[in-house]
Amino acid sequence: MAKITVDGQQYEVDPKLTVIQAAAQQGIEIPHFCWHPKLSVAGNCRMCLVEIEKMPKLAIACATQVADGMVVKTKSEKVINAREAVMEFLLINHPLDCPICDEAGECKLQDYSYKYSVGYSRFEHDKVHKPKRIELGPRVMLDVERCIMCSRCVRFSDEIAKQPVLTFTQRGDHVVLTTFPDTQLDNPYSMNVIELCPVGALTSRDFRFKSRVWEMSSTESVCNGCARGCNTNIWVRNNEVLRLTPRFNDDVNSYWMCDEGRLNTFKFVNSEKRLSGPFVKKNGALTRVGWDEAIAEAVSQLKTFKKSEMAGIGSAYATNEDNYVFQRLMKETIGTKNVDVVPHVKEGDEDDILIRADKTPNMLGATEVGVKPADGGLSLKGILQGIADGGIKALYVLEDDIASIPEIAAVLPNLQLLIVHSSVQNKTTEMADVVFSCSTYAEKHGTLTNFQGRVQRIRPAVSTIEQDRALDGFSMSRWDKFASRNDRWGRPNKRDARPSWRIASAVASALGAKTRYNTAEDVFQEMATRIPAYKGLSYLKVGSRGAMIQHSSKTVSSRPTVSV
Amino acid sequence: MENIILPNIPDLHKIDVYELHGGYKALRKALEMKPEEVTDEVKKSNLRGRGGACFPTGLKWTFMPKQTMKPKYLCVNGDESEPGTFKDRQIFEFNPHLLIEGTLIACYAMGIHTAYIYIRGEYGKWVKMMEKALADAYAKRYVGTQILGTGFSTEIVIHKGAGAYICGEESALMNSLEGERGYPRVKPPFPAQVGVWGCPTTINNVETISNVPHIINNGWEWYSKIGAPKHPGPILVGVSGHVNKPGVYEMPTGVPLLDIINKYAGGVIDGKSIKAVIPGGSSTPILRGDQLDGVCMDADSMKAAGSAVGTAGVIVMDEDTDLIQVLTRIAKFYYHESCGQCTPCREGTGWLWKIMKKFERSEARKEDIDLLLDIANNVEGNTICALGDAAAWPIQAMLRRFRDEFEKRVKPEIVRVETGAVA
Repeated sequence: MAKITVDGQQYEVDPKLTVIQAAAQQGIEIPHFCWHPKLSVAGNCRMCLVEIEKMPKLAIACATQVADGMVVKTKSEKVINAREAVMEFLLINHPLDCPICDEAGECKLQDYSYKYSVGYSRFEHDKVHKPKRIELGPRVMLDVERCIMCSRCVRFSDEIAKQPVLTFTQRGDHVVLTTFPDTQLDNPYSMNVIELCPVGALTSRDFRFKSRVWEMSSTESVCNGCARGCNTNIWVRNNEVLRLTPRFNDDVNSYWMCDEGRLNTFKFVNSEKRLSGPFVKKNGALTRVGWDEAIAEAVSQLKTFKKSEMAGIGSAYATNEDNYVFQRLMKETIGTKNVDVVPHVKEGDEDDILIRADKTPNMLGATEVGVKPADGGLSLKGILQGIADGGIKALYVLEDDIASIPEIAAVLPNLQLLIVHSSVQNKTTEMADVVFSCSTYAEKHGTLTNFQGRVQRIRPAVSTIEQDRALDGFSMSRWDKFASRNDRWGRPNKRDARPSWRIASAVASALGAKTRYNTAEDVFQEMATRIPAYKGLSYLKVGSRGAMIQHSSKTVSSRPTVSV
Repeated sequence: MENIILPNIPDLHKIDVYELHGGYKALRKALEMKPEEVTDEVKKSNLRGRGGACFPTGLKWTFMPKQTMKPKYLCVNGDESEPGTFKDRQIFEFNPHLLIEGTLIACYAMGIHTAYIYIRGEYGKWVKMMEKALADAYAKRYVGTQILGTGFSTEIVIHKGAGAYICGEESALMNSLEGERGYPRVKPPFPAQVGVWGCPTTINNVETISNVPHIINNGWEWYSKIGAPKHPGPILVGVSGHVNKPGVYEMPTGVPLLDIINKYAGGVIDGKSIKAVIPGGSSTPILRGDQLDGVCMDADSMKAAGSAVGTAGVIVMDEDTDLIQVLTRIAKFYYHESCGQCTPCREGTGWLWKIMKKFERSEARKEDIDLLLDIANNVEGNTICALGDAAAWPIQAMLRRFRDEFEKRVKPEIVRVETGAVA
């Protein structure tokens, strides 16, 4: 260990660290633009200049290794002057177009202008003009005038995404970020440069101009695009999800997420195909009914079948809580042994960065909580065979568009009863007799277990008819707090949907089951007592970074891919 | 003292002429010595780098790790691009084999088997001359495998730059050599640890290396007695500006600046008085014409006078020179050549130039004088490489020594005069 002094305070730190790392570990933030914990050191922004005793000049904290006895000053007059000088330099050619810049509100340059700048400029010449609205790739837009040449995006593309297509051309204050000829920034992780960019130079072509950041609420969640379960934030304005951004979790996704997960896992939440309220098939057409009627219809129909004629298909998209209550309903209340889950694996669509071939967020969780055949029960293959043979006459499906798989769609017409939980209208709901409109991952509490066996929490970011942002503890934006009733924000589009665990629990009650759960946490607490792998876990322990289950050696990747 | 770097021998660039005048004798001698003896000889000679920083050459050589699994490299820096400096070009043209011989000796001393001679892109003609000389040296087995029948082998590669001043900065030079953008590297690590291709590397100036054969031939004692004791040896001084005989002159270090101007360069044109002298290339602090007495061309004397030897590019300006115009041009040069990697230099050099243009047009305000100094101070010492310093020093020195020149270019304020009531 090395003993160092920072601003008069003594610390013992790992001698391998740089000053900026050691300071960060002690909770001291040395301002910086170009340095990033997961990228190589560039040392170009000069914002982290600090005074180190016995060094003739100020040194950059990002590239200076600590040494025993080192005395560092991060707030001396010399340091403050240098910092103000760097801020002044950075701003002289910056367009200062914050009012029309997407980054405003989450911009490092803007924040530091308040924290470390004198507040005015002595520059009174024409600014250098550079290219704007450059399509750097299919998903990222570049404004070179806003760029401060920190090279974070260049280093990310080279070092993390392994697609070295970005570079600088020209010299001096004419430097331009660009792609090499005949290349574009189109790797599967390209959008991470948007958060890495400390200014508004790199923006999302999907999100651009959709919202000021302070109009949105941000809620900690988990991506449901694959078995990685990247930690995310869901950004919501007027009850509509506008974007997802990655949230740091060193055990899962570091600071990153893939473009696919970022762009294609939230739009269904806002989709016009969302179901609002339950449906029952009447005279061959799905008809909107009340919850009580739908539950009564499901129960009365289920009662007409023998236990062995019924089967349940859980969901690798639904939460552990949903799957747990569902399998209790199937196995204990309805009494069938035929319970399984449909895997969704895209062979080959994976890499050694984040992306997993298993395109569901909770396959391991679903099986761990009991969505698997009971002793002597039919597995998925057997269930489908049973439907084809006529042995299985009623099927209860949780949050999975199984009819989108042609082999399954082919046998479904043989069924006499198909009950479906779904948040959107899809091929499976079209064939169903009873449809329960369920909440999406963005509208409920719950947990998902990723391929590593890490249980991670999701939280509601979008409210349904039953919920109220203020009363139910949602994260709130300025608009949520201050919009008046006659604002658009005061009249959000809310859907009539319920979490699957609540629906399954209600069906079970109607069938005579005794257990009732009030919250997802109630369900989790019961899981923690009944399922060995969850022993000792609680929502508190899972926290925002997740917790490992002591799962049986059976993991998703070792499960044979079901070919049906 | 007779010229030893640029002796007056016709056709010395031809290998047989070079051999006839004792060429490659030092190489033979060095190869019979132990490598560390060669380094020691250079160290004791007190040879200091001629690329601007005056760093002791022998000491630099000892920074190279002895026990390493990695290959080691020598880069001979011939990117000579400082305005006012044109000395290395003379070596390429008139004594290329001295440079090649020095390169080989340096490689032997440090256990290096590949040397790069990096020549600035604009020196197309001189690149060709060096290539010819190198081909001749290869043909005579001075370069390549088993040199002169010994077990020592070294390849020399001539690399042509692409026209950026920054590539004369040693770490940018290495990046350029590797095919990367010419951005200086953050130090540490220093080149002796992590240099070209991530391997231990020494970078020496062309003129520095050209001194080495003479040190080996004549011994360190002989060399250390030439010129100024703490900064000995011959030095190539390029004189330009308002002198009758501009050119490159070889002389011992320590010659008075006024002797360089008057005796070597034939005095100021039309006998005019000297307004100012930039002694060591455009980045070195300017000296007033009335402050030149006793200032000599060696590191200590120049430092005492508040300037630097730099690359010994003496720019003489007579009494009629518009120093504001001179400084504006210098500021424009550093603005044009700033690589744009780090903030203070990238943004500061352009700003300095823009303000200088206001002075040039006599449109500046009084406050701009202090602003100029403040910006220069904010750039100096806060950048990755010395280009920021090189841009700041001429401005700081000019403001220190010729503040009146700036004051003269301040736009007169319009003063409202109370005239009183006039019938």
